[in-house]
Amino acid sequence: MKCPLEDRENREILLAYGSRARNGSDTELESHLQTCPACREFVRGQRAVWQALEEWEAEPVSADFDRRLFARIERETPWWRRAGGFRLVLFRALPITAAAALAVVGVVLEWPTPHRVQPRPPAAQVEGLRPDEVVQALDEMEVLNQFNRSIKADSAAPRM
Amino acid sequence: MGGATAALDYDAELMLRVKGGDGASFGVLLDKHRSAVVRFLYRMVQHQAEAEELAQEVFLRVYRSRSTYEPTAKFTTWLFRIATHLALNALRDGKNERFQERLDDHAEDIGVRQVEDRRPSVEQAMVRQAALEEVRQAVAQLPEKQRAAVLMHKYEEMEYSQIAKVLSCSESAVKSLLFRAYETLRARLAHMA
Repeated sequence: MKCPLEDRENREILLAYGSRARNGSDTELESHLQTCPACREFVRGQRAVWQALEEWEAEPVSADFDRRLFARIERETPWWRRAGGFRLVLFRALPITAAAALAVVGVVLEWPTPHRVQPRPPAAQVEGLRPDEVVQALDEMEVLNQFNRSIKADSAAPRM
Repeated sequence: MGGATAALDYDAELMLRVKGGDGASFGVLLDKHRSAVVRFLYRMVQHQAEAEELAQEVFLRVYRSRSTYEPTAKFTTWLFRIATHLALNALRDGKNERFQERLDDHAEDIGVRQVEDRRPSVEQAMVRQAALEEVRQAVAQLPEKQRAAVLMHKYEEMEYSQIAKVLSCSESAVKSLLFRAYETLRARLAHMA
């Protein structure tokens, strides 16, 4: 094995061995270490550094970190965005909102009031007609039209 | 950074949900990455209050970017890119100098209190405190990019390729950064073995 310290491309093998890979799986490197004092010194030093860094623990995060963050987000959000959020909620709940609105309108319309003017009955009760009555009426209108046309034709013709 | 990677990234999926208006997914992302971001920033600027302030800004930027978010990279790569950018800016602005002064005062206070306590472990605690201080100073004296690379490599266990993406440089540049950084640290800390 070529000495990793002399091989720029492979020197991270030595770095990794001195840092994490301490399971002795790299037998080739281990054989090299037995014959190379420079690499042995490198690994010893790297392990010392790794161990020293290990001792440096970070402090726990403040309990109110999230609260402060969300307060900042809230402060930065303009009122119309917040209103947008409300609109979004309203939009998502649109079917329920629509149903509720219809129910309210229905109740208001049906609510008995003393001064309510009774609606006038429609002039023509179309709903009350049967299909055969409609056909008959149309036939009669056609007959009347034909009758009108014949009268007009007669009146337009030169009188003798 | 391909689509396949992004497809496997659950965090990116959560972020897409945030983009779609799901605020709860932002909470999940915050829960998942809060500690890692704060501890990375803490070790970068070496002051807890400043680190938390910067971490707040990181998550605020994530939230602000939700409408334009596209999962073109791993979520943590994007997150740490923002964190690193903010940390480097803070260090360059010297914003944490005032905090560092307070930290030094605090360290002195701890020493005095420990001596006054006269507990059996006082000597050990002081030795440990001194060793920790040595580690912190050694890391603080690294050039900023080397420091960021070491912290991501050592504490966040990131691969060279991901560190490269966070620092916007090549993988070989990261290997070089790390090699030089550990070389400096070995010179300063190897005696601690």
